[in-house]
Amino acid sequence: MHIKANRGSGGLGNAPSVDAEEMTSLAVANEFLELTRCATTNDQLRDALATICESMGFEYFALTHHVDPHATEAQVIRLHNYPKPWVEWFDDHRLGVSDPVHRASRVTDAGFCWARVPSMIKLTAADREVLAMARREGVGDGFTVPAHIPGEASGSCSFAVGPGKEVPAHYVPVAQLVGTFAFDTARRVNRIRCVDTEGPPLTGRQRDCVLWAARGKTNWETAQILGLSEETVMQHHKQARERLDIPNKPMLVVRALYDGYICFDDVFRP
Amino acid sequence: MFLTITPGAAAPDDAVFRSMFEARKRVFVDLLKWDVPVLGSRYEVDQFDTPDATYLILTDDAGNHLGSARLLPTQRPHILDTLFPQLCEGSVPSGPGVQEITRFCLDPRQNARQRRRTRDTLVHALAAHALARGIARYTGVAEMGWLQQILAFGWDCEPLGLPRQVGARLLGALTIAITRDTPRLLERAGLVSAIAVPGDAVRHAA
Repeated sequence: MHIKANRGSGGLGNAPSVDAEEMTSLAVANEFLELTRCATTNDQLRDALATICESMGFEYFALTHHVDPHATEAQVIRLHNYPKPWVEWFDDHRLGVSDPVHRASRVTDAGFCWARVPSMIKLTAADREVLAMARREGVGDGFTVPAHIPGEASGSCSFAVGPGKEVPAHYVPVAQLVGTFAFDTARRVNRIRCVDTEGPPLTGRQRDCVLWAARGKTNWETAQILGLSEETVMQHHKQARERLDIPNKPMLVVRALYDGYICFDDVFRP
Repeated sequence: MFLTITPGAAAPDDAVFRSMFEARKRVFVDLLKWDVPVLGSRYEVDQFDTPDATYLILTDDAGNHLGSARLLPTQRPHILDTLFPQLCEGSVPSGPGVQEITRFCLDPRQNARQRRRTRDTLVHALAAHALARGIARYTGVAEMGWLQQILAFGWDCEPLGLPRQVGARLLGALTIAITRDTPRLLERAGLVSAIAVPGDAVRHAA
């Protein structure tokens, strides 16, 4: 396995040599972890985030978590210190879901600088307007740590600087660690649980029929492929919809993807 | 669901072992594209699969692999000290009460719900095993996405150092404290074991 030693650390087989400056940055992270270990409220977490944000040389933080929209108590965690006009504009334009940084965080597990977003997702004209508007309202570049917990809606923890300023590169690994732990603290404080819906799972045949629908096949085509009658395929779809309490076929395909019965690779790279 | 706890020295031809090494190949090589050795293009087996390793393997009633994890003693060469010492700020934790969790593997033939059930049972089994064997803490290396999930299990985790880019991956090292309280912490985080009392369905291979 190829090991890329970075930032002057020891390579393979050597004792890890950690420079003094880096020790300091881990100490910064540990201070945050100490503060949040006993946190029981969002206010305590917000205060800890504000402190670490400043220590790392960032101006803004934003921790957002969207719970499963199918959950009965839709609850959105949002801790931030963004400028008020930017937040108002953001909400007026309902960007919680479509914000380009949020969308980019869906395609990776590792933290990323916002400068990389155009190489991660396709940006629309509206996205460019969002980024320009953020700069006008005082939010420039940033670093976002995605958080994906199976069965829960995705979230992220971001740190940002003002326009024209650079993300403090030295603290990016700290921001990664802090973001990861902060998100978990937010889950704990707000008692976010995996939404594990009761009820029977799909059968193998139901799953197969949904998969072929996802691949764009009609019931007749699916019937030919699976060696079933068209009527049987229709029955499988109907029963799958009933099991997941889904009104129609497009929604059934999306739900099957969300629940992990089928995955994108099955659909696009069979 | 059945749990087998066995040292690496036990019957290498055992069907359960073969099915675990096959599943590991599908997960770590085919799915996650790790650069690790593959035996006979079917089995993922590396230099740490020795008689010193301990395996926790979950199987269905027919003996098919559902999930597994490999524990390495930390007084001997293991993943963290051999491959990724740079992930630890200080010295790599080692000793008779410290074991490294490696190759946590959920069989990809299961759907999300089944994987979740297997995962929860395996995590509970790891905690129960540690309590039974006097293991006070586990260590482990994980990619950041997986590390976030490990935290979400609700047990008591601490970072051993800052995350680092290793090749194409961003890795972090963790230590997980195991105490009498751990099973309760897991339950509080929503993890439910499919094996009612972990001791009951355990098949201790020689």
